[in-house]
Amino acid sequence: MHRRNKWLDGLIMLVLIVAACAMLLPYAWMVLSSLKSNMEIVSGSHTFLPSKASLEGYRTVLVDAPFGRWLMNSAVTSIVITAATLFTSALAGYIFAKHQFKGQKLLFILILATMMIPFQVIMIPTYLITAKLGLVNQLMAIILPNLVSSYGVFLAKQFIEDIPQDLLDAARMDGAGELRLMVRIIAPLILTMLSALGIFTFMNSWNNYLWPLIILNDESKMTVPLALVYFNGTHMVNYNVVMSAAVLITLPVIAVFLIFQKQFIKGLTMTGMK
Amino acid sequence: MNLDTATGRNKGIEPGIERPGRKNGRKFIYLSLAPVLLLFGVFAFLPIGWSLGLSVFKYNPLSGSALFVGADNYIRMLGDSVFLKSLWVTFKFVIIAVMVNIIITLMIAVAIQRIRSGWLRSLMRTLFFLPTIAPLAGTAIVWSTMFNFNHGLFNILLDKMHMAPIQWLSDPHYALYSVIMMTLWADIGYNIVLFIAGLDSIPEMYYEAAILDGASRWHIFKDITLPLLRRSMLFISVTTVVSYFQAFAQFQIMTKGEPFNETRVLALHIYEQAFSNSNMGYASAMATVFLMIILVVTLLQLKWGRTEWEY
Repeated sequence: MHRRNKWLDGLIMLVLIVAACAMLLPYAWMVLSSLKSNMEIVSGSHTFLPSKASLEGYRTVLVDAPFGRWLMNSAVTSIVITAATLFTSALAGYIFAKHQFKGQKLLFILILATMMIPFQVIMIPTYLITAKLGLVNQLMAIILPNLVSSYGVFLAKQFIEDIPQDLLDAARMDGAGELRLMVRIIAPLILTMLSALGIFTFMNSWNNYLWPLIILNDESKMTVPLALVYFNGTHMVNYNVVMSAAVLITLPVIAVFLIFQKQFIKGLTMTGMK
Repeated sequence: MNLDTATGRNKGIEPGIERPGRKNGRKFIYLSLAPVLLLFGVFAFLPIGWSLGLSVFKYNPLSGSALFVGADNYIRMLGDSVFLKSLWVTFKFVIIAVMVNIIITLMIAVAIQRIRSGWLRSLMRTLFFLPTIAPLAGTAIVWSTMFNFNHGLFNILLDKMHMAPIQWLSDPHYALYSVIMMTLWADIGYNIVLFIAGLDSIPEMYYEAAILDGASRWHIFKDITLPLLRRSMLFISVTTVVSYFQAFAQFQIMTKGEPFNETRVLALHIYEQAFSNSNMGYASAMATVFLMIILVVTLLQLKWGRTEWEY
């Protein structure tokens, strides 16, 4: 835009900077609170800054809590779910996009329809089914219902449809089997979409709270968000301990985000996924 | 359609060569689709049907007794003051939070898009986006200490400005707004990024033409930016409404529906009825109503969005 008003631009910039600082405030609060000592909290701390930085909170988290175990639980379940979702989505997407069989349209519409269903609507039967399978309080219960994603199938179908049929026919004539075709030809062509789906699937399962809350109650089986809440319940008074745990959980997430930031933003605007 | 082109292309090939490939294709389809469909069947289709079925029973998982009660669960809702209250709270939360969200995110997106230096623009975008990737449960815990009456950040700030402290999470006048504030902090980043993408896709020539015509900033925003953002706007409002209807962690962690059920949204109420009170039949009936509400609201939004879009 050519006609720029210096004062207005300055004012907008100022407001934006103030808003950005406000966005950072909770992080500052989290870090500074985590550095308060037990003593300071018990004696009633009413300040933003800790009077003297202390690592007591971090020590309590790392020594008293199975912190590594929680990270492990989250990592294992999220990695398995992400790998499986990518595979099943690409496979089903390929079949729906490039193959014909009876009832295909209806089946695809049914899968699409499940996208509209909030988890709260199916959580009760899902719990009962998981209980019937004898999986209550097991990490398998976190993994099993999340191996497929209707949105993943939908996305994969959309993107695979754009691949020219000639390319696939040529590969088939060279004697490539269907699975080989998928791995060698289709997967590389939809890599951007797969990485977006992968990032968001991983993030959603890492951050998932409601389903673990329903199905897990053993401290050693908990995933990170649930464990943090449980931990918060047992260390209500010493919020420095809880804030230390929060810092330890947030730091790797931020680091990962800063590394993959471009793909994140691209994936979000490409797929509209949350 | 794809089959047509495939067979069309294969006309020249001897049928003897084609047939085994076709057979393998069938086998491939059934073998690979079967496990995927089994998972969808067990964890998506079956639960939906089951949930509807459960809603006409009085079912307690602890005693395992299921008693058919017909429409009783639905009738019971009409006279259940806690349910009606939670319906009201849910709508209040969704309407206020979504409106404030869209206004704020649109303003921030426009402001960020005006920044000329590239690194500053992406820094700003990153700052606003950062909270969205952290687990909401963790954010809720950090915010509950910030809202704490005795040592929380907000009351420290109020104290600095010589104002009386506030019971952020236990005063019925403030509790819902406190949760809304936290929710907005946690996820305005998504919509800011989506709005920026929408703004970026508006061709520069429209603005140039408007400037040549001597249009004011406000007119440019109102008559060019907003109408051309309609698609982003529709998408953003539909997804935000759906996700705010399902907001759960912040309520379950920060307020547990208190004070006086002022923050008892439907998502929390269904959860508590099912898993704390073991009223799974009644909770399923509420879940059905919940689903209907979300579907109707989404369809209405799409309908209104469409007509305005054509205008």
